[in-house]
Amino acid sequence: MLWVVAWGLGVALAVGLAAQHEVDELLDESLYATAMVLAHAIDRVDLESIDDKPLPASEDGEFAWQLVNGGDRMLARSSNAPQLAWHKVHTPGFSDVSAWRVFGVATGREGRLLYVAHTAQERREARGEVIQSAVLAALSIGLIGQAWLRLRVRRELEVLDVLSNRLAGHDPLAGHALGTADRAELAPVHRAIDDLGQRLARRVAHERAFASHAAHALRTPLAGMDAQLAVALRESPAELQPRLQRVRDASGRLQRVVRSLLDLFRVGAEVHRAPVELKALIAHLPVEGLEVTVEGPAHLDVDADLVAAALANLLDNALRYGARQVRASVPAPGVVRLDDDGRGCTPERRRDLRAALAAQHYDGGTGLGLMLADLVARAHGGSVSLPDVDSGFSVALALGDGAAPGP
Amino acid sequence: MRLLLIEDDPTLGEGLRDFLRTDGHRVDWCASLADTDALRGEPYDAWLVDWQLPDGSGLDWLATRRARGDRTPALVLTARDRLADRVHGLDAGADDYLVKPFAPEELAARLRAVSRRLGAGAAQSRAAFGPVAVDLTARAAYFEGARVDLTAREWAVLEALVLRAGRIVPKPDLEKIVLGFESELSSNALEVHVSSLRRKLGRELIETVRGMGYRVGDAS
Repeated sequence: MLWVVAWGLGVALAVGLAAQHEVDELLDESLYATAMVLAHAIDRVDLESIDDKPLPASEDGEFAWQLVNGGDRMLARSSNAPQLAWHKVHTPGFSDVSAWRVFGVATGREGRLLYVAHTAQERREARGEVIQSAVLAALSIGLIGQAWLRLRVRRELEVLDVLSNRLAGHDPLAGHALGTADRAELAPVHRAIDDLGQRLARRVAHERAFASHAAHALRTPLAGMDAQLAVALRESPAELQPRLQRVRDASGRLQRVVRSLLDLFRVGAEVHRAPVELKALIAHLPVEGLEVTVEGPAHLDVDADLVAAALANLLDNALRYGARQVRASVPAPGVVRLDDDGRGCTPERRRDLRAALAAQHYDGGTGLGLMLADLVARAHGGSVSLPDVDSGFSVALALGDGAAPGP
Repeated sequence: MRLLLIEDDPTLGEGLRDFLRTDGHRVDWCASLADTDALRGEPYDAWLVDWQLPDGSGLDWLATRRARGDRTPALVLTARDRLADRVHGLDAGADDYLVKPFAPEELAARLRAVSRRLGAGAAQSRAAFGPVAVDLTARAAYFEGARVDLTAREWAVLEALVLRAGRIVPKPDLEKIVLGFESELSSNALEVHVSSLRRKLGRELIETVRGMGYRVGDAS
């Protein structure tokens, strides 16, 4: 609105200045024309009969005139003209004398000069009126133009608004196309978005199919291996048992890795938040060889499947780095922290890990566990951080702001 | 327990069958839904059903049987682990849901829990009938506090009756549960096991309901 007013005032000022100039010119021209007519007429008048009395002026008093001879001797004047000549010496042409705008012109007779004048007051009023109407007209035209322009621009932008609304509700993964464009100019944008959407949908469908297929193709043989090994352990002679047990342990590790890999595929999918106790979440995790203590009542509002997968991998990491005890806590709403008593890592290594997590450079040795935890945290709208600790290793998962309040 | 296992993967099917057999269960293993047709009407203590089978969905198979009013406890074994899948599985009538890969020990434990919960009268893993106590988890029987050694077959008879405590178990059903398909070979095998159980645990434990079958515990 401020811009509209400033713009209007600017236009009005420009119009005002132009009008003032034009009005001055016009008034000067009228003065000139009057002088010419009057000079021609006055030569035919017998000045003696005027008897040195001022002649009546025009009713509206717009013009005053003086007829002088030999410098400033007054021969005749209109009643509204001053008694003294406007100039002491003959001054033809335009001039400004105190409150008058004067035009002097020689008449036909020798030595006579006719001055015709407007009062400056008169000219100001005329100028004022013209400028006022011109400015008013310019302002109204400006405002009307502005409103019309706004309307046009809004109508032009409405198409973009419709497109942006359609984009907001657009889900290419559901197989919907954006549809035809409202305007020809937008057709390439629609085509590009639809093309991108289709490629994305194909890619996601492909990955989902792979994940589902991989899940079945990997999980069933792993379960079969474990069942066969369990039977073999029961039926084999004692000397074979330690060897078989080692194979079964390895198969268990393989199972965990495969589970994590399959979970990774799911992280990209939707997050289903639900209230859950950290204790209940950890109670279901395989943590053989680890003593996990959960501090206090810890309520979370997270995707339990995903967070459990992340925690299972972090606990597996802790075990591999020599930890025997792990403390699990919720130091802030929506944050799960694990502190272990394992070998930990050097500050340099921790710095590298932090940089890799921040840049999502998972191929730089973050390991499957931290990578999965980070992806799970990011899927929740949070991130993984590695707090500084004197001994052991500490990792905190921020899981977004869906934390349920405590009782 | 007598179990029906429907699993198409030969390694897993054979492994589970043998593991559960070494645990003392009688296991019939089918690799497809079509194979189960021959076993329709056989009494089982529990079904172990894979979801995705070569000739159809194990969940549909289960839902059909539930619709007919068959309440045999059922565990669904599957490679699908999403929450929606688990809910779907339980809605179809599964009593428990096990995601592959799983340890067979866990399957055995879940099986015991499901049978205790749903199979019959014994709500606890330990049940007492007069001077006799039976621990289903430890697979042990006690008479007046002292542990009594039972053969695998004797235990099978006792377990089948305890899981159905208070109900009459018809003799042909009990034969099938305890002996599986060997029941047709020796017609008096069941009586032999029942009488040796009575000798070891007292005459009052197993009641013969004339013309109908056997019962452990008071009528429910």
